[in-house]
Amino acid sequence: MLLLSYLRMKLLTHNMLTSHVKGVTKGYPLLIKATEVKLTDVDFNSEFVSRMIPKIEWSVLVEAADTLGHLNDLPRDLPPDYESSEDFLRKVHHVLLEVEVLEGNLKCPESGREFPITKGVPNMLLNEDEV
Amino acid sequence: MEKEASQLERDHVHNVYEKIAPYFNDIRYKAWPKVRQFLLDQEPGSLIADIGCGNGKYLHINKKSFTIGSDCCLPLVDLARNHGHEVQICSTLKLPYRNGCFDAILSIAVIHHFSTKERRIRALKEMARTLRVGGRIMIYVWAMEQKRRKFEKQDIFVPWNPEPPSQKASQYKLRKRPQNTFAADCSSSSDISQAYRKTKSTSSVGNDEVHTLYSSFEKSLKIWLFSRSLDSILELGGSSSSATTKRLNPFKNAGHLLNDTSRFELFKSNKASQLMEQVSNLFVLRQDSDEDVFSIEEFQNHRPSESIRSHLPKNDLGTKEKNKLLCGETCAKIALPDLVPHPDPLIREANTWNNPDCNMSICPDSKTGLLRDFEKLLKMESPSHEERVQDKNTKETKSEASLFRYYHVFKEGELQDLIETYVDELHVIQTYFDHANWCVVAEKIQVWKI
Repeated sequence: MLLLSYLRMKLLTHNMLTSHVKGVTKGYPLLIKATEVKLTDVDFNSEFVSRMIPKIEWSVLVEAADTLGHLNDLPRDLPPDYESSEDFLRKVHHVLLEVEVLEGNLKCPESGREFPITKGVPNMLLNEDEV
Repeated sequence: MEKEASQLERDHVHNVYEKIAPYFNDIRYKAWPKVRQFLLDQEPGSLIADIGCGNGKYLHINKKSFTIGSDCCLPLVDLARNHGHEVQICSTLKLPYRNGCFDAILSIAVIHHFSTKERRIRALKEMARTLRVGGRIMIYVWAMEQKRRKFEKQDIFVPWNPEPPSQKASQYKLRKRPQNTFAADCSSSSDISQAYRKTKSTSSVGNDEVHTLYSSFEKSLKIWLFSRSLDSILELGGSSSSATTKRLNPFKNAGHLLNDTSRFELFKSNKASQLMEQVSNLFVLRQDSDEDVFSIEEFQNHRPSESIRSHLPKNDLGTKEKNKLLCGETCAKIALPDLVPHPDPLIREANTWNNPDCNMSICPDSKTGLLRDFEKLLKMESPSHEERVQDKNTKETKSEASLFRYYHVFKEGELQDLIETYVDELHVIQTYFDHANWCVVAEKIQVWKI
């Protein structure tokens, strides 16, 4: 089981990924279609999480967590004083780093092109005609 | 041009890394101190991208940041993943990241694998795109100027050094495994190169047996030369090693026997020389571009060696053929990046591939004996000679030819110039020489477009 936890794509990563198919202007965010999701344990570091929050697209994170069924009670809007709320930070930590997609694919919202995720590794290579 | 460039990179970067990936697990890789420091200097909670991360050796260094790796080589990405890292498979020219999302980017030993200046610039711009304003990027590329060796040209093919002979057997088995596992990749890339290759290889060089003997002779010589370092080659030719020189004496006459077969035929149909043909095609096509180091004028001014001049057929070659000839000859020299012209005439002659001479007759028996002795000298360990000769599988020959990695080695200041001239959004902060690489640290700045 420990080995399996190494094979994954975290939602933090997903937050950065976009489709880059030729001609696509709105390739972000990619829609997650997961066939296998795992929960893992990652050490909580409040400074890390509170610094990470401004770097992510909050609505995309919420949507992705929701798609995977792990939204729990994460608020859809970012509370203004999130840095001081450990409870909130822990929830963010969980969704960002502990929910992992093992198998599935990422779908471009504009072109519909699907990028497969295999053993947690998204394959974002484009074919010659898509570049 | 674009197609040839990406084909070259596919054959001599991506495919090679796919095959040699298993070795990256065995070798203990230490992170270079300056790169390590760059990573540790990032603030806690930073988002870092290692573009061209290979086996992921830099991904674990800063535990307070989140580092995402990417590489286009599947086996290497698998290695990184097995160590627990977040990695993607993608191309540096088309990064699947949104704009300005990273605080820092690493590009260690990546850009020198792009075969045209245009692609190198595109890679730089693409990485800059994903960097946030104020973020920093560290780039390492192999330097042309090195302490212990001299590269003669900037665009070179560097052989992947096989392990010492005792491990050769297992290495060969290892090499075979990736080919089977990623058969899908291999077959598609060889399909492409099959289509890409000139299809005129229906040469009738008299005796097939002799033909394969010669091609293996060439291959043996090539492999032997390529797998030795500069130092041992010079030692072999020098007076300090008179025993080896004595052993080489019987083969001094072998040189002219190699000329028996028409060189053109060998050049066209020898599978091992497809590499040269590919390279020569690439560079011949470039003659109108002012992009790169090579130009046709260089080749035309190049003086062919004695042996070429005496053996060139009387009838006139077409200009394109002539250029390919010269190109091939010069490229043959390029493919031995560590070597200055060898003092020993036999080896130097063997290096020049263009000695067509259709007149002399061929005597198979004497060749076999010669070949056997030569191989004893070379101590060929890897698949037995007979196997190699009989093996008509293009994948097999291709794997030998394609274990050369393409590099564009950078001159001092070249990387910096490239950024300053073509990538407005990056501002160079620091440049230095480290571990045989030229390094640049640059910062992303806001560019105002009016």
